[in-house]
Amino acid sequence: MSSGTPVELPSALRKRRMRPSATSKRNQAFVVSLLTLCATLSIATTVGIVTILLTESFGFFSRIDLGDFLLGTEWTIGRSKNEADYKYGIWPLLLGTLRITLIAMAIAIPLGLTTAVYLSEYAPRWVRAILKPVLEILAGMPTVVLGYFAVVVITPSLLEPLGFKPYNAMSAGIAVGILCLPLVSSLAEDALQAVPRGLREAAYGLGGTRFDSVVKVVIPAAMSGIVSAFLLAFARAIGETMIVALAAGSIPTFTVDPRGPSQTMTGFIVEVFQSEDVIPGTIAYYSIYAVALTLFLLTFITTLIGQFVRRRYREAYE
Amino acid sequence: MSEADYQVPAVDPQRAKNRHTISAIFRVACMLVAVQAVVILIVLLTTVFVRGVDQLSWDFLTGVHRDDNPDGSGLWPAIIGSIVICLICGAAALPIGIGTAIFLEEFKPRNKALAILHNLVQLNITNLAGVPSIVYGILGLTAFVYMFGLFGTYEANKAADLEFGAQRYYQVRTAAKTFVWIPVTDKTLRVLEIEEPIAARYPDGGDFTLNVIDRGATKPTDPTVLGQTVYRGSKASIFAKHPWHYLRLPFHKSVLSAGLTLALVVLPIVIISSQESIRAVPDTMRDAGLGLGCTRWQMVRTIVLPASIPGIMTGAILAMSRAVGEAAPLLAVMGGVVGKRNAPENLMDNAAAMPITIYNWARDDNPGFWELSATAIIVLLCLLLTMNSIAILLRYWAEKKFASR
Repeated sequence: MSSGTPVELPSALRKRRMRPSATSKRNQAFVVSLLTLCATLSIATTVGIVTILLTESFGFFSRIDLGDFLLGTEWTIGRSKNEADYKYGIWPLLLGTLRITLIAMAIAIPLGLTTAVYLSEYAPRWVRAILKPVLEILAGMPTVVLGYFAVVVITPSLLEPLGFKPYNAMSAGIAVGILCLPLVSSLAEDALQAVPRGLREAAYGLGGTRFDSVVKVVIPAAMSGIVSAFLLAFARAIGETMIVALAAGSIPTFTVDPRGPSQTMTGFIVEVFQSEDVIPGTIAYYSIYAVALTLFLLTFITTLIGQFVRRRYREAYE
Repeated sequence: MSEADYQVPAVDPQRAKNRHTISAIFRVACMLVAVQAVVILIVLLTTVFVRGVDQLSWDFLTGVHRDDNPDGSGLWPAIIGSIVICLICGAAALPIGIGTAIFLEEFKPRNKALAILHNLVQLNITNLAGVPSIVYGILGLTAFVYMFGLFGTYEANKAADLEFGAQRYYQVRTAAKTFVWIPVTDKTLRVLEIEEPIAARYPDGGDFTLNVIDRGATKPTDPTVLGQTVYRGSKASIFAKHPWHYLRLPFHKSVLSAGLTLALVVLPIVIISSQESIRAVPDTMRDAGLGLGCTRWQMVRTIVLPASIPGIMTGAILAMSRAVGEAAPLLAVMGGVVGKRNAPENLMDNAAAMPITIYNWARDDNPGFWELSATAIIVLLCLLLTMNSIAILLRYWAEKKFASR
């Protein structure tokens, strides 16, 4: 090179410390073992969750009949003073959870998917610039806030005129739906955008309209991603706690009627913590773990199915 | 190919027109549905604002909760409590989360056993992200609050078996009707009966020997001496002073338990977002570092980490804003604390937190508290908005930095 200024060596070369000396290799070994320790902590968390739920709920299942738990239609733990009067049928709680989750899904899936289609296929830049942050704010909204919204807005102004009770499953379901909507739309949009342009252009080339390309080509091509987005939202809705604790009431009911109060599994757990008069060692205390175990299994299986769908049915393009 | 092998479909202009109409209608329908999200957000924010803005005042921000009176209640202990819990959560979750992300992205092992661990961790994190936060609350309750019962059960006012930094005193009233403290030697003795002179201390410091006089004897006239004198047989009861460095096992229902539990809740979020920003660093930069003869860790430390720090920070702030808004795990770990009048004084102290306060006010029998709940929501949302704007600015800055490369 003819220019007068000498080329400066990169800092990594100037610093002698940056060479692979015996010390630096020892440092690396030390750091790697630290990092491995960090990583194993996440496994320890899972092991911790599973162990605690299994061992503590053993205190519950060793005292009651498993058949009563799985088939019973009455759940009265914490309702009567006398432990002998308790009924341990999980179905009212399970049904309460499923009822609210299904209402939430009925709102989040169509709205979320349509929003995703609009964002991915139609939205001009300036609409995206508004809609994306709005969805992000909704996604980051604390759940107590949505619960409050359900109690002071959704129930009195939308549902009570229709004959719903002050605390009802519908209101909680709508709020949970609002919570899941951004999750569905952002994951589904990712899936839609992963579909290559070429497929859309082929649809146009065959004379299809944009509607044809979306409905007949893009959505089917992104189906695995969309389904796994639904399943994630489903798992989120099952585990949602604060909204149902505020808006759904606290009476476990064995019904499918969304107009009355209902209690979910999470709602029951929160109610027990809230009351604070549950003594460790009693059957009411152990019942938290039994309910939490059911909840964990339900969400875990849903997440696993989601991952399976994503892997098994993914259409790879390139 | 001859012409007879294929057939061009007959063009039906009416049908084509219909299809275009459907497409146009679909476009409008999509837009209307998408706008729903904006409508929901506007209605939500307006409601909260209209209901809550009247009570928003300096007194509300600096006041404390009062059971009977919504008008005088404030949020100060809850604000500080939330911030302390969030700081503990960050201090635990960020190093561990970023460390795990580096392990997963930069140190892919060739060793078979380690490779299995590697895949297991990756699979596990995706699953952990889907676990409901109330389940983490139950984990935190068993692991941090009670420590699996390893250290015995905790009882209020009883000294824990393992504690550091707690100072215990007996408090006794002197003849001058002031209180003085006597250091404790035997923790099991709840009440001390004073029969003879004993070493004592003023509450604001200064040691002296406590005089003992009989009931009915003439009192000393000097107020200083009077303040150092008790009647024979006076009873002094035990109490504990917990300085800021006080620690105890198990952690019981404390801000430390709450912060660690929230750290577990946000850990998967921190890991996943850190992984993404580490993955965004181009491989050419890694190769350049390795080509210069760095070890892998030196390369990560000097090249990958500086380049991915803005992205990692963005994810970290978003995770923290999630932690600030979480209520369910806190409810499990700390119980529904609402009436706490002061900020936590040490890590073992209980505290009020904003989401818990909002929850309790929203379900109070007194409707005045419902309005107050909206005010607290405004404060919480302002905090979240600030955190999110910082995250967005960081992301913008990071994108610009990467675009120039």
